[in-house]
This record gives sequence, C-alpha cells and structure tokens, in this order.
Amino acid sequence: MNPKRCAACRYLRRRCPKDCVFSPYFPPNNPDKFACVHRIYGAGNVSKMLQQLPVQTRAEAVESLCFEATCRVEDPVYGCVGIISLLQNQIQKTQNLLPRTQAEISVAQIKPSQNQHSAFM
Amino acid sequence: MGGPGSSPCASCKLLRRRCAKDCIFAPYFPSDDPHKFAIVHKVFGASNVSKMLQELPIHQRADAVNSLVFEANARVRDPVYGCVGAISYLQNQVSQLQMQLAVAQAEILCIQLQHEPTLQSHHQLLELDQGDKALLLHNNNIDNFNSNNNNNNLCYAMSSGQFSSNFAPSSIMQMQMQDPPKQESLWT
Repeated sequence: MNPKRCAACRYLRRRCPKDCVFSPYFPPNNPDKFACVHRIYGAGNVSKMLQQLPVQTRAEAVESLCFEATCRVEDPVYGCVGIISLLQNQIQKTQNLLPRTQAEISVAQIKPSQNQHSAFM
Repeated sequence: MGGPGSSPCASCKLLRRRCAKDCIFAPYFPSDDPHKFAIVHKVFGASNVSKMLQELPIHQRADAVNSLVFEANARVRDPVYGCVGAISYLQNQVSQLQMQLAVAQAEILCIQLQHEPTLQSHHQLLELDQGDKALLLHNNNIDNFNSNNNNNNLCYAMSSGQFSSNFAPSSIMQMQMQDPPKQESLWT
C-alpha cells in the first residue's frame, strides 16, 4: 500500500496518480472528509465538478461541498436548506423588531422633556 | 406514478429504464418536469438520491426532494459555493441587522441613563454582557452615540455573534439560533 495516497484514493482503493484531482483537497490525514462527500455526491460527480472549475477555485468548492454534505448527513431531510430557512426566519424577526425599537427611541427622547415641562407648571 | 400503461416518471425517462410500479422517484419527479430530476441527477447522481430517499420515512421524502432540488440548483448557478454562498450572504444580513438592533437598544439605554441615572442604571446594566457594560460605563460622551463613527465602534464592540469562516454546520446553526437582546429589560 502506498502511504502517500490521498484520502480519496485510499477510500476508493485505487492507485493515486500524480495528477489526481482529489489529492490537493483530500489529504490522507482526514479520511472522513472524503467519505462524507462521497456518500452524498459520489466520487464521479465530485471529480466532474472539480474538473469543470479553474484550479484556483477548487479548494473553496471542495470546502463548500464538504459543508453541504455534512449538513445533509446531519439533517437528511433538509440539509443546508434548513440553515437557510433558520437564517431567513431570524432576519424576518429582527426586521420586525427594529422599527419597534426605533419607535421606542423616539418615545424615550420625548418622555424626559414632558417630565421637565410638567415640573415647571 | 409509474407502471404498465402509464407514462414513465421523469427519472426513468432520463435513465431510459422501465418505470416500475414502486419506482422510488415517481411520486416526486413527474414526467411533466424533466428538468427537476435532470439537475438533481447532475449534482447528486440518481443512485445517491435513491439511497437517500430509501433511508427516509415516506412522509419526509417530498421535503427531502425539494431541498435536494434547491441545493442542486444553487450548485449549478454557483459551482464554487453552491448554497454556502446564500448562507454566507444571509449570515451577513443577520449580523448587520443585529448590530443595528443592538445600537438602537443601547441608544434607548443611554437616553434612560441620562435622565434617570440612579434609579434604573444598575438594574438595566445587569442585563448586558460584561463587555457591553464596560463599554457603556467608560463612554462618557453620550452625544457621540449619534455620530456614525462612534456607532460603528459601539456596534463592533457590542456585536457578540462572530461570523464563522470555519464551515462547521453545527456551530453555525448554534450561533444563528441566539435570540436578539431582550426588549423588556430596558423598561423595567
């Protein structure tokens, strides 16, 4: 066994060529990373996706694929769409709260001047 | 639904196979929307989708398919970041809104402190984080809260949610589930 095989080639039990598309992004010390991505997307699809991207963007693409795959494993029904939904709800709640809080500022600014006025009557 | 005599579902059409009566895809990929399965197949692969659906109870499969279609569309639109791009954008929006809210709430507190310093301040300050209290107590120039520069400094100091550049779904979900600062404490 070649100890220098990347995690993908180790997982797929194949030889790791010099120009392996996976090896820069799936080092052998992190086998779970490829296992997760493979489980959701499949090695063939990941390979195709990476090959269609310029080399300088592949690292980011791999990280986002790993993130989405991990989300899907943790939540098999909604995956990362669950997070998007949570964030949208949070935005909605905060947007509803903001005008109320700004109105309270106006009230707080008016209130003291009314108290001062009444003190001199 | 697939079966003898009826038209094959979109998946079996694309995969060029007979659509069985119990085809797992048929309820979710009708033949009148071939694009839906095509995009999911492109990103995830038919066999992976089939495995995922088989592992789910039937009543959850429709939602799972819809979320897979959403993710696949996002990935095709943005091959580098996919859905993560949308998450990043929304997180920034949440951060900005929470900062605006924090600034507004601090302004209310400062106005109250200006006018009722002895009666209210101790009770209200107990509701703030230590860092927030320190900032408010040390900032003697209350008029400057209205200027943009100092609001930004206050925003930066008071914002407790740090945007995580580390793609860890559990940690991002925990961070985002924090509620905005409570309103009632400022008025008691």
